[in-house]
Amino acid sequence: MSTSSRSRPWIFLGKRLAYGLLAILAIAVINFFLLKMAPGDAAEAMAGEAGTATPEYIAELRAQFGLDQPVLVQLGHFLARLATFDLGYSFRYGEDNVTLIFDRLPATLMLMSASLLVAVIGGIIFGVTAARYANRAPDQAISLVALLLYATPPYWIGLILILVFSVWLGWTPTSGMVDVLAFNTGWAHVVDVAHHMILPALTQAFFYLAIYIRLVRAGMLDVLSLDFVRVARAKGISESRIMYRHALRNAVLPLLTVVGTNLGGFLGGAVLTETVFSWPGVGRLMFDAMFARDLNLLLSILVLSSAFVVLTNLVVDLLYVVINPTVELK
Amino acid sequence: MAEANPQPLLAVENLEVAVAGHPEARILRGVTFAVNRGETLAIVGESGCGKSMTSLSVMGLLPAGVEKTGGSLRLDGTELPITDNRKMRKIRAARIGMVFQEPMAALNPVFPVGKQVAEVIGEHMSLSRSAARARVLSLLDQVGLPDPERIAKSYPHRLSGGQLQRVVIAMALACDPEVIIADEPTTALDVTVQAQIMRLLKQLQIDTQVAIVLVTHNLGLVAHTADRVAVMYGGRKVEEAPTRELFLNPQHPYTRGLLDATPHPDRQRRGGKLLNEIPGTVPSITDPMPGCRFAPRCAFAQADCQAAPPPEEGPAGHRVACYHPAAWAAQDKTEAPQ
Repeated sequence: MSTSSRSRPWIFLGKRLAYGLLAILAIAVINFFLLKMAPGDAAEAMAGEAGTATPEYIAELRAQFGLDQPVLVQLGHFLARLATFDLGYSFRYGEDNVTLIFDRLPATLMLMSASLLVAVIGGIIFGVTAARYANRAPDQAISLVALLLYATPPYWIGLILILVFSVWLGWTPTSGMVDVLAFNTGWAHVVDVAHHMILPALTQAFFYLAIYIRLVRAGMLDVLSLDFVRVARAKGISESRIMYRHALRNAVLPLLTVVGTNLGGFLGGAVLTETVFSWPGVGRLMFDAMFARDLNLLLSILVLSSAFVVLTNLVVDLLYVVINPTVELK
Repeated sequence: MAEANPQPLLAVENLEVAVAGHPEARILRGVTFAVNRGETLAIVGESGCGKSMTSLSVMGLLPAGVEKTGGSLRLDGTELPITDNRKMRKIRAARIGMVFQEPMAALNPVFPVGKQVAEVIGEHMSLSRSAARARVLSLLDQVGLPDPERIAKSYPHRLSGGQLQRVVIAMALACDPEVIIADEPTTALDVTVQAQIMRLLKQLQIDTQVAIVLVTHNLGLVAHTADRVAVMYGGRKVEEAPTRELFLNPQHPYTRGLLDATPHPDRQRRGGKLLNEIPGTVPSITDPMPGCRFAPRCAFAQADCQAAPPPEEGPAGHRVACYHPAAWAAQDKTEAPQ
């Protein structure tokens, strides 16, 4: 019986975790070489900032960081440390890479979840509405806006939002995560953070919102043409119930897949959004690490991000089983 | 037609349906029939004759772009508000249940079937959760599904076509409707399962006195289950008679053609053809031909058939829309008897 495969998720999980580890390892090695190919290193960047860029000083720094060793030896060291979950030390920040990243992680996760929620919930509401009024005025308006959001670069949207809502209207702060001069605590702090988060979350959400609207609309139109929708109508239930219960439940299945694959994209987008809005998250850290040639930190972020993406994709696949009864784990 | 009961339960009169914005594209051109409590009326005809559109009209579920342009639809003497979705919702499933053609596609794949039956009950009856649950189980039992507890929890992809059709019938019956419209209820099923499903519907009819409108192109099915038969062609009813009468004494050339178009090993043994097909094809719904719509394919058509649509005539029990009913009778007499 195929029920048995439903009740044996451990084999599935084990397999997927093994593949995930392989993927992370491959990503780590490829990124290591990519970053090595980039011109400049941490020693040059630090020496440049210190203003004493004598070759001796740079060589001394390189020796201190282990940058004078052959590339393959460096790779070996890196992988050996990775195996013990040691991501190394950032000389630039004078802090463990793991500590650095995990300090910044909550801000990024918060921003990511907020924009993800906006994109998914907005995508569902507007997508369903567009499908319900297919080819009529509401659908045309929604589809046009979705197309515009899809075609506009996020950083530009971010700048325009700052210009309109912060500079002209003065409704929202221009950047940062908290009002540093207010020293808010408790509830006031939460409100303050939420206030700061509105623009970056929207900026990051818009592109995905556009995708999800189109995806949900197409999925709904597909499902609405199926027989069981007519059967549901013959049961005398309301049109909204048919839309949101019968049709949407089927139409969100492809949405879930796409959201899963987009989670990595949200992380990548964080670099742009967090930079534009000076949001103190991992994306900003990555951007700074890039400029400072702190390749070790950058590599640590990349490895952790890939682990995050692998894990969330696994969770999405597990969710699929919960939400779609015809899917069974193999 | 309704000799016994002065007011039929479901009365369709001169129903006209056309493509919205294209009144010349007439899908139904004046269809009249009536069903009484406890009675089964079969509507037969080939694909595209308008039989499904007739049943969807009664449910107020005409597809987008198709609209009723004339005639009346009355349930127990009251006009059905088929263009008012809000009012129609209270009638669908509650007073008129519907069984569909494709049981495999009729249920939502992401909900257990018990939930889908319960949904109808929740919508139209004020029952407690446990009472609704008990009713679902008793309905599943009533339609002959073994182990209702297990079936109720199953998702549609776990059940066979026959089991699913039983679930759909349970759904149609859930609120004790007065009428059930069964649109090709067995077309997608195995022959043995077909017989079971029809026997089930018949038994349910005996138990509940529900009126059944059986829409089908399967004459074998009709012969065993219907009390009366209405034959449709090109958006019109061409003949209506009690089942036995229709099979023994068809009056309309199209009805006879349909009966002849069933495989007949006897006829073949006597040197005839296994199957006598009707030549030609169904006229397009936009074809403006003024006369009988069957005339171009009819072996007995004469000049008057082309002029105006033939009116329905004949005694109350057996009505036929043809200028030359049973025209073959004269021919048969001159030729050797069959």
